[in-house]
Amino acid sequence: MATPPGVPAQAARPSEGPGEEEEEEDEEEEEEYSFLPLVHEIIKCMDKDSQDVHQELNALKNKFQEMRRMIGAMPGIDLSPDQQQQEQRNLRDQVRTKNELLQKYKTLCMFEIPKE
Amino acid sequence: MAAPHSSDLQTRLRLYFLSLLASLIQVRFLPQWRRWRELHKHKTAMAALLLGGSEKGSTKERLLSTLDDLEVLCRELIEMLALSRNQKLPQSGEENQILDLLIQRDGEFQELMKLAFEQGKVHEEMQLLHKEVEKRDSDIQQLQKQLKDAEHMLATAVYQAKEKLKSIDKARKGAISSEELIKYAHRISASNAVCAPLTWVPGDPRRPYPTDLEMRSGLLGTMSNLPTNGVNGHLPGDALAAGRLPDVLAPQYPWQSSDMSMNMLPPSHSNDFLLDPPGHNKENEDDVEVMSTDSSSSSSDSD
Repeated sequence: MATPPGVPAQAARPSEGPGEEEEEEDEEEEEEYSFLPLVHEIIKCMDKDSQDVHQELNALKNKFQEMRRMIGAMPGIDLSPDQQQQEQRNLRDQVRTKNELLQKYKTLCMFEIPKE
Repeated sequence: MAAPHSSDLQTRLRLYFLSLLASLIQVRFLPQWRRWRELHKHKTAMAALLLGGSEKGSTKERLLSTLDDLEVLCRELIEMLALSRNQKLPQSGEENQILDLLIQRDGEFQELMKLAFEQGKVHEEMQLLHKEVEKRDSDIQQLQKQLKDAEHMLATAVYQAKEKLKSIDKARKGAISSEELIKYAHRISASNAVCAPLTWVPGDPRRPYPTDLEMRSGLLGTMSNLPTNGVNGHLPGDALAAGRLPDVLAPQYPWQSSDMSMNMLPPSHSNDFLLDPPGHNKENEDDVEVMSTDSSSSSSDSD
């Protein structure tokens, strides 16, 4: 049975190095957002003619609902990656331009001494 | 005539059987046909996805679309499996196809979820950038306000400096030597003192207060446009009666008019005041010395 989505699954195992931990976390995340384990459980229950199939079906339905709710609450996905990258570039450009402007203001010689 | 009739009947019978066969086929294979149509729809959608047709939409739309596809595929697969289990039918290739599609869409969904989390991180960075942009904006606005204030203050200072320069130029043009100023100061203190000079005798036009002529020649008199030539003579009666006032008593004081300069005066009187009676120049200077000491002493006494 997959863990409910949205809850970070922390493996309570002894540390095996940072790289391996990250890989394990990635795998767990992938399983967390996959529907295949639940479908597999349902097929197994159907093969066994088990009564748990209804429970598994409900779990699958709940997972779909939960994923929809989660997708609705995720920030920053209203844009496509390209659009988001473009907007990020625009923002960086703005910050750079404003920094330059501020620097210019600070170092600007405002006084023109008339030559008489 | 029998042959055409029989052929017509045969044709009708053929058509009837054909329609019956078509309806039987439709009834038998309708659910499968529907499934095939659904599958074809999914395959078309998948092809569009592989071709990048849905890349243009937002990640959220793509996630929801993939989730919808996953739900439909799961339902189809489970229904087909349940149907095949109930009817004890052998598994068809469609189930495998749907399963393949399900696996493929599930993988895509996970990839999209990864992408969504990365976009979430980028979104956080963008929020920080937004805040930075707002901070820079407020800094720039504040700096502009300060620059405006400084400009205003400098403009005021420049204006005042220019006014001062103008007045300096004006003063330079109508320059009066300090000796004359000191003499005039002595004269004021001599004639407007509270104590008469020692050499004063009746008939001397000097008075311990400003005479009417002087008042008219002064700033207040000029502002009120009063005649300065002493018409109807408000000069002291004794002076008029005695007729001792010289003609040069015309009110032409070089220090009261910037247009007049000392060069206009006769050379012998260039350094003297015209109000002074002739022949008193030297004496008057002495008197001035005495008067100044008198007035100072008297003023100190009065205090």
